[in-house]
Amino acid sequence: MIKVENLHKSFGKLDVLKGINYEVREKEVVCVIGPSGSGKSTFLRCINLLEEITDGAIYIEGVQVNDSKTDINLIRTEVGMVFQQFNLFPHMTVIENITMAPMFIRKLSKSEAENLALELLDKVGLREKAYNYPQQLSGGQQQRVAIARALAMKPKVMLFDEPTSALDPEMVKEVLDVMKQLAHEGMTMVVVTHEMGFAREVADRVVFMDGGYIVEQGQPEKLFDAPQNERTKAFLGKIL
Amino acid sequence: MDFLDMRWDLIWDYREFFINGIWVTIVLTICGYIGGIIFGVFLGLGKTSKRKWLYWPCKLYVDLFRGTPMLVQILIIHLALIPTVFGQSFGFMVSGITALILNSAAYNAEIIRAGIESIDKGQMEAARSLGLTHGQAMRRVILPQAIRRMIPPLGNEFIALLKDSSLVTVIAANDILYAAKIVSGAHFRFWEPYLVAAVLYLLLTFIITKLVAFIERRFSIDYNPRKKREGRVDV
Ligand SMILES: Nc1ncnc2c1ncn2[C@@H]1O[C@H](COP(=O)(O)OP(=O)(O)OP(=O)(O)O)[C@@H](O)[C@H]1O
Ligand SMILES: [Mg+2]
Repeated sequence: MIKVENLHKSFGKLDVLKGINYEVREKEVVCVIGPSGSGKSTFLRCINLLEEITDGAIYIEGVQVNDSKTDINLIRTEVGMVFQQFNLFPHMTVIENITMAPMFIRKLSKSEAENLALELLDKVGLREKAYNYPQQLSGGQQQRVAIARALAMKPKVMLFDEPTSALDPEMVKEVLDVMKQLAHEGMTMVVVTHEMGFAREVADRVVFMDGGYIVEQGQPEKLFDAPQNERTKAFLGKIL
Repeated sequence: MDFLDMRWDLIWDYREFFINGIWVTIVLTICGYIGGIIFGVFLGLGKTSKRKWLYWPCKLYVDLFRGTPMLVQILIIHLALIPTVFGQSFGFMVSGITALILNSAAYNAEIIRAGIESIDKGQMEAARSLGLTHGQAMRRVILPQAIRRMIPPLGNEFIALLKDSSLVTVIAANDILYAAKIVSGAHFRFWEPYLVAAVLYLLLTFIITKLVAFIERRFSIDYNPRKKREGRVDV
C-alpha cells in the first residue's frame, strides 16, 4: 500500500532521514516510536509530501508520490493526516471544517456533505457540537473533529503525528478510542506515538526510529518484550 | 496674536474653495486607498512568495517607497515620471492619485504580508493535507483568517493616507490645505485658514475611525455561532 524506498531527507546540511526502507500493507496499523528528533514526523510528512523528498521514492498503491508527473493534490485526498496541534480551521464551525474539502474537492452537494459530516461526528461522538466553533471545544474534542475532517475525504490511509501529545491526560483515552475503532474497521494507519499501551494493543507492527534510520521493527510483543538492538533497549528502558 | 480679532468672515468668503478642497481630498484619498489596496495585495502576496523572481522585485519596490519621503515621490511622479512616460502631464489629480496609490501600496503590502504570515503554518498544512492546492488553501483558509487581522492596521493606513494627501498641495492640487494657503496668501491671516483646515482633516479622520471600528466589529475575531445565525456573513 505504502512503499518507501531508500528515503533521504535533509534540511540544508542537516540529514534527518538517512535511507528509510519500509512497506505498509493494506489494513495494517503501524506505530512509529523513537526519541525526539529522530525524524518520525519528517518521515510521516514525506509520505504526503508536506516535506520535499531529498532522495529515494515513495509509492502509494503503486503510484510514485515524488514524481513530477503525479498530481500531489490528488494523492493527498487519499491520505488523511492528523496533527499534534489539531489545526482545525478556527473561522469555520465544526461541520464546516468537515464539509469544506468534500464539497470543494469531491464536489459533494451541501446536503450530501453535511450528512456525511454528521455521520462522522456520530462516529467520534460529537454530533451535538456540529455547530460550535473549534475554540469552544476541549482539546480531545478538537482532535476527534480533526480525525472526522480527515475521514470525510474517505482516505485510503491515515497518518497520525503524535495525536495525543498536546492533550491533557484525561482526554487521551477518548482520542485513542476513536483511533482503535478506526483500526478495527480496517483502516490502514501509520501512527507516530508515545502511547506504548496503544501501540501494544492496536499495532500490527511497531517501528523504532533513531538517528534517521529504522533501527528495529516487528510485532509489538517482540519489539517491546524482546528488543534486539541496544538502542531500542535503551529507549524502551527509559520510557516503559 | 489677537484671538478676539479673528476674521472668520474670510473663511466664509472662501467657502467655495474649502468645499471644493474637501471633495478633492476625499477623492484623492479614496482613489489612492482603493488602488493602493489592490496593488498592495499583489505586492504583499509577492512578498510571501518563495519564488525569488517574484519576491525580490516586490521587496525592492516596497523598500524604495517606504524608504523615501512621499513629498519627493509626488514631485518625481508629477514633474518627471508622468511627463517622461506619456509626453505630457494629466494634471495634479492624476499625478496625485498615482502617487498616493504607489505609496500606500507599499505600506499595505507590508500589512498584508504580515497578516498572512501571522497565520499558523499548521493551517496551510492541514488544508494542503486535505488536497487543496496552495491557491485554494489561501482563499478558503488563510486569507479569511488573515483579513481579520489586517483590518485594524489597514484602517490606520487609511487615516495616514488622508493626512498624507495634503502633501499634494506642492503640485498645486486644490485640496483642503490648498484652500487654506489661498486665504493666508491673499490676506496674510494664518490662524483662521489653517485652523479650519486642521478641523476639516480632524472631522474626516474621525469619520474614518468610526467606519473602521464598524468594519472591525463586523469581522470580529470571536467566532460566535450565535452571531452567525443572526445572518451575519462570515468571510
Ligand atoms: N522545517 C525544518 N527545518 C529544519 N530542520 C527541521 C525542520 N523540521 C524538522 N527539522 C529537524 O529535523 C529533525 C527531526 O525532526 P522531526 O520533527 O522529524 O523529529 P521527531 O522524531 O518527530 O521528534 P519529536 O518526537 O520531537 O516530534 C530535528 O532535528 C529537527 O530539528
Ligand atoms: Mg514529531
